[in-house]
Amino acid sequence: MMHRRLFLKILAGGFLASCAPGELASSPIKTNVLRPPGAIPEDLFASRCIRCGRCAESCPYRSIKILDLRHGFYAGTPVIYVEKVPCYLCMRCVKICPTGTLRKVSQKEVRMGLARVNRRLCVTWKGEGICRSCYNACPFREEAIKLDRLRPVVMPEVCVGCGLCTYACPVRPKAIVVEPIYAFRTSR
Amino acid sequence: MSKRPKRLRYGRWRYLSLSAAFLLILITPLLNLYFHFTFIQGWYQSLGIGRLWIVSPLEGLESLLISKYLYLPSLIGMLIPILVAFYLGRVFCSWVCPISFLHETVDKIRAWLFRYHPITWRDRLVLSLRLLWVALIGEFLLSMILGFPIFVFVSPPGLVGRELMLAIIFHSFALEGFIVLAILLLHFVTRRFYCRYLCPLGGLLAFLGQKRRLKVRLKSRKCSACGICEKVCPLGLPVNRGGSYSPYCWNCGECVDYCPTGALKFYWKRSYYLKPVSVEASKARSGNPLPDE
Repeated sequence: MMHRRLFLKILAGGFLASCAPGELASSPIKTNVLRPPGAIPEDLFASRCIRCGRCAESCPYRSIKILDLRHGFYAGTPVIYVEKVPCYLCMRCVKICPTGTLRKVSQKEVRMGLARVNRRLCVTWKGEGICRSCYNACPFREEAIKLDRLRPVVMPEVCVGCGLCTYACPVRPKAIVVEPIYAFRTSR
Repeated sequence: MSKRPKRLRYGRWRYLSLSAAFLLILITPLLNLYFHFTFIQGWYQSLGIGRLWIVSPLEGLESLLISKYLYLPSLIGMLIPILVAFYLGRVFCSWVCPISFLHETVDKIRAWLFRYHPITWRDRLVLSLRLLWVALIGEFLLSMILGFPIFVFVSPPGLVGRELMLAIIFHSFALEGFIVLAILLLHFVTRRFYCRYLCPLGGLLAFLGQKRRLKVRLKSRKCSACGICEKVCPLGLPVNRGGSYSPYCWNCGECVDYCPTGALKFYWKRSYYLKPVSVEASKARSGNPLPDE
């Protein structure tokens, strides 16, 4: 045991220089950084996930990435960076998760987060032009994103938080982002 | 010299089995990436062959203890490795584990380059084998205190598979790969240092395999106490003093291969709870059960 401890200590010392100490024990989930579909709440996620990485392996779009040791206790858990590759809701990962960390949910029951339109950044809301990239990209068009006089409005009851809208948004910084509001609900 | 071709039988088969197991986790991500062949997925943390899931018992148990949540597919997936360990002992460690494959490959390279041989090798640091239990219990206690599974992302048997998957699919390595390198470096201090003293998965499988059916039997009458078995045993078990009956033995068959007198043989204990037939009774039944050598 001592050698692994010692080794880990040396390793940890190296990381502390490169990343904030608080990051080791705090969840990596934040705006546009989401858990895969069907994930159980964040307070149990890291303890139930066995880090087998099969969700990442089965993901045909390579949306799911595996965190590395720099994320401390959350190392090895899967995340989706929707700005890089969003989730296309193929629902393969939920079928193969061996521990039930990703629950078997249908496409419409997925709640990875909730899309939020920043009206100060959105071209259409500012009245500078007509863009409906997010509306076109949404897998539940006219249900999750509706147009209010051509301006996009998110329906929170329907939005699954897949991030396709964020990925499609041409504005920098993104005018529509996904907030993982469901990940931090306390479970049970 | 007539016995010569019979030697190194188990060693050959074991290396073949280890190579096949390593190839499986190497080829699976390649097939997945280039041919969308998803029938076989994962590695030795969680392996999916069609609808059959195999979950590593240590990771599954840790996840179960920490999240206090029973999930049936996970329990069923743990059943196969547990049954294998129950009947055959730690065979996963010596016949399947990719870390074992890397160790044996390193040994082959050393034998080729530096004329390394287990009989002439001397372990630099020898500790008590009980350290394995400390590793297992300490691992569970620490994860339960912290509330996070520790072993899952530094578990070397799973790590090799994950590194291979990351390298093939994402074209990157995770930092944890250095743990594998560290383990291989420790191997140059003491043979199988990590497997002997530190591996919690090995500890769990050893615990499950305490009453295993498959064991290496020592025929004391044939034994000349040459001590070769103890030298070649990757775990340094004192085989000629009953080491192969201890829970640590992982049935690799190395001692059986090297034993010059043939005193060591694999045997399958029919039932653990039946008393062995005494010599007198077997003599009475069949005229001469123990022919003279």
